[in-house]
Amino acid sequence: MSVVSNKLAASPTLKPHKSADMFSKLVTLSPRFLLALLILPVIGGLISVLLPAFGYAPVLEHTTLGLHGFTMLMQTPGLTHMGMLSVGSGLISTLLAFIITLMILATFFNSPWLNRIQRLLSPILVIPHAAAAIAVGFLIAPSGMISRLVSPWFSGWELAPNGMFPHDAFGISIILGLTLKELPFLLLMALGVLAQPELGKKLRQQHKVALNLGYCPMTAFFKVVLPSLYPLLRLPILAVLAYASASVEMPLILGPNTPPTLAVAIMHWFNDVDLNLRIKASAGALLQLVLTGGLLALWLGGEKTIKALFSDLLTNGEREYGGVYWQKITTVLTVFVIGFILLSLIGLIMWSVAGFWRFPAALPDQLTLLHFKSALMQMQSPLFNTLAIGLVTTLFAIIITLLCLESEQLSAKPMSRFTSLIIYLPLLVPSIAFLFGLVWLQQLVNNQAAFFNVVFTHLLFVLPYVFLSLASSYRRLDPRFAHVAASLGATPCKVFLQVKLPQLFAPILIAAALGLAISFGQYLPTLLAGGGRIATITTEAVTLANGASRRTSAVYAIMQMALPLIGFILAWVLPKYFFKSAHR
Amino acid sequence: MLANKCWQTLSRYSFCCVAFCICLVISFKSLASTQLQSRWQQVESLGKDQSVYFYAWGGDAQINAYIQWAAQQVKAKYNINLVHVKLSDTSEAVSRVLAEKSANNNDKGSVDLIWINGANFATMSEHSLLLKQWANKLPNFSYTDPDNNPAVNFDFGIPTNGMEAPWGQASLTFYYDSLAIDGTANNTLPKTLNQLLSWSAQNPGRFSYPKPPDFLGMSFLKYALVMLHQQSDDTLKAQLNQLATAQNTAQVLNPLWDFLNKLHPTLWRGGKHFMQSGAQMRRLVGDTELSIAFTFSAPEVPAAVKRYDLPKSIRSYAMQDGSLSNTHFVAIPYNASHAQSAQLVANFLLSPEAQAQKQKASIWGDKSVLIQSTLTPQQQALFKTTQPHPSALPLNSIKRTLNEPHPSWVNAIMQGWQTRFGVSQ
Repeated sequence: MSVVSNKLAASPTLKPHKSADMFSKLVTLSPRFLLALLILPVIGGLISVLLPAFGYAPVLEHTTLGLHGFTMLMQTPGLTHMGMLSVGSGLISTLLAFIITLMILATFFNSPWLNRIQRLLSPILVIPHAAAAIAVGFLIAPSGMISRLVSPWFSGWELAPNGMFPHDAFGISIILGLTLKELPFLLLMALGVLAQPELGKKLRQQHKVALNLGYCPMTAFFKVVLPSLYPLLRLPILAVLAYASASVEMPLILGPNTPPTLAVAIMHWFNDVDLNLRIKASAGALLQLVLTGGLLALWLGGEKTIKALFSDLLTNGEREYGGVYWQKITTVLTVFVIGFILLSLIGLIMWSVAGFWRFPAALPDQLTLLHFKSALMQMQSPLFNTLAIGLVTTLFAIIITLLCLESEQLSAKPMSRFTSLIIYLPLLVPSIAFLFGLVWLQQLVNNQAAFFNVVFTHLLFVLPYVFLSLASSYRRLDPRFAHVAASLGATPCKVFLQVKLPQLFAPILIAAALGLAISFGQYLPTLLAGGGRIATITTEAVTLANGASRRTSAVYAIMQMALPLIGFILAWVLPKYFFKSAHR
Repeated sequence: MLANKCWQTLSRYSFCCVAFCICLVISFKSLASTQLQSRWQQVESLGKDQSVYFYAWGGDAQINAYIQWAAQQVKAKYNINLVHVKLSDTSEAVSRVLAEKSANNNDKGSVDLIWINGANFATMSEHSLLLKQWANKLPNFSYTDPDNNPAVNFDFGIPTNGMEAPWGQASLTFYYDSLAIDGTANNTLPKTLNQLLSWSAQNPGRFSYPKPPDFLGMSFLKYALVMLHQQSDDTLKAQLNQLATAQNTAQVLNPLWDFLNKLHPTLWRGGKHFMQSGAQMRRLVGDTELSIAFTFSAPEVPAAVKRYDLPKSIRSYAMQDGSLSNTHFVAIPYNASHAQSAQLVANFLLSPEAQAQKQKASIWGDKSVLIQSTLTPQQQALFKTTQPHPSALPLNSIKRTLNEPHPSWVNAIMQGWQTRFGVSQ
């Protein structure tokens, strides 16, 4: 059998087809293209920020290199505070999301509840950060849902009380928002790893063995499953950490502003009327880079320390660490998290149809479709832009990803560690640090093609997710189909198009839906690369969140959620009608 | 006899001279006006059938709808495709033009027309980012009576030099929740700056202002500054209209810092956190967290009530001690791709038809910059008003307007504020 399969595996190279040359060339070149596509903009953008930071900004008539920008930055009142706020909220929210993910996994491992929780939480993934922040803000505000539910019968409040959330000085609101948003992401990433047939099966079996040896289910998870699971979760966690420490939307809507987080301050400096602040902003972007880098290093260091300290515990034979209590705590926590999310969403929906709704009424006085009507009137062109940009970007991302994965299979070599790390590059480098430089570069190259610039910038953020989403399915493809087709004389191109792609129909659609969702949610990249000319639902939502009513914001937030949701529903429904046989 | 003859000759000569001079003047004038006319004809022929990217703050649905109306009009008139690029802050457009200048893009800029005034204008004019000497040559500019109405040629005291065309006038207007401020003892409506301070002390946490450099927050600080100097001697008062320098800054601004030190502990969130924008302030009034707030565009208040964004109990009023007022403009960047088309749009925005539409309370309610006496009776008829909404600012309630201080004070106030209050203790 093995001899046969070896022969089959070798057969495509034995019978080279002239017509396949183009395709093979394309395929072999694609990984390099992918690398260039991801590295060049990020590095180029970073350099274009580096130069002004050291005083080189010809347009501001600064051409002498120096540390002027850093001196200005250091003199900023509250700089330490800003940095602490960024680092603190990033680290704590990631840690919380990670710990809750682990607790949920440990408690519900091998239980049908895990799937139910996944189903409840996965829609959160597609809610853009701005929309989530708006929803959370409404819940915890002094006039928010929680406060309304206890007023005035219990609290006696006729007017909204003086509260501290959101915008509290310690960033608790930011931490809350980020944790709730990152938790589903980490959980789904972990479940994705566990869904890999071989690894998942192995881990589940090992877990069962541990149970049979008398380990408490939670202990079994931490001692048996986690050590194999964690290495595969590391990059997503680092991406979450990098994002959380440098994001703009959440701190802008939920955070304090005396002072704000560093990333928000940098954005304000870049957009300030005083153009000389740009030099300070560039220096700030470098500081942000250092902080985020430091956080990532801290996390990796902490990981090593924990490994060193607790590796003995893995083999000490202890079966029970109060697992029953921890399970109860986790259940309560899970119910709390899901309840919190549901209440925010209910609030959002009520706001979108509310007439007058004065505090402390728990329900609106009247319901109206006015907000939807007026929003839909103005939404046509942003809606079109959102869809066009999302579709073009996602299509492009999927084609490149498929070609790269095909090249991996044709050359029979797995992707190098370097390449897999580079795919994460746009997620690990804070976007605030390189986007401004990137836009400047795009201006130099071509100014008028705003649509192209936006698509190109979105691609940086869409590509990693599409790649990660498709890679596991692609690598899992049974190679024997391809071998049989090739032995029957099919060219690699034909094998790729007619054998492999139909089998991948469902995963491709899921990846497309994910790509669309990521593209739909981009705020800063759209705004900067499009020069404000390209309005999407998300840019409109953030502008309106700053400028108009809670009701209109709610409508836009709902639209932001509805679009990706439609994508995922299509990705779920379509395979049931097409290529059914391939998807057993 | 001789003398008589001499006199006759002289007077004949001088008559000829005068006649000649008059002819000369008239011909010059007509030459100039034909020049203007031909210039405008050229603008019209070059500017038709193109797109104009209008970068304007997009945070208000009413204003956005008005710009959409204007877009339809210029489409019908000149086949111009007016695209409203909605900004959350005008400085974004300033950055854009600067970035283009830095990339040596000197004639294909993305911004064609920009809604601007105050500090943003000062920055753009200082960095030579604006097209010069066009606004004063617009045909409709004459309706603003520029000779007798200097407000249209100065932006926060800085001469516009034809770099921007006036678009509207705004005054700082206050609004309050009449259910929260019920007129009982210690809770009567504050109508002066001092009353506001004592009211806020008695009702802590119910008032605040947007964090500088927000335009509305700065406006409140400027209103306070101007009011605090009402009793100052004239030389000190005059400093407000001059450049802020290292010498006069402390003397002028110290009364403001003293006032804010008293006010801040009584504010929303104890003055330790400030809202980001005027719209957020409005939302907090809707949430009943705040009981009193202010705006530069009075008609947004009744419009918000109609959209349910503010409760029915909201009422508008003007402070008795004075309302800060200013003019806002549209300008064309030096590198605009469609400068001629942008001039056509700017001229349309200045037309009696567009200004009257804008002034209607149901449309936008922004005060016209045109002077009624320059208009024909038909044009004046366009400006007739209808019955205002109960929460709208009653007609003629602004009794006293206060001029904006020199724009350099914006920066001085902002920096002073940032060092004193930017980082909460």
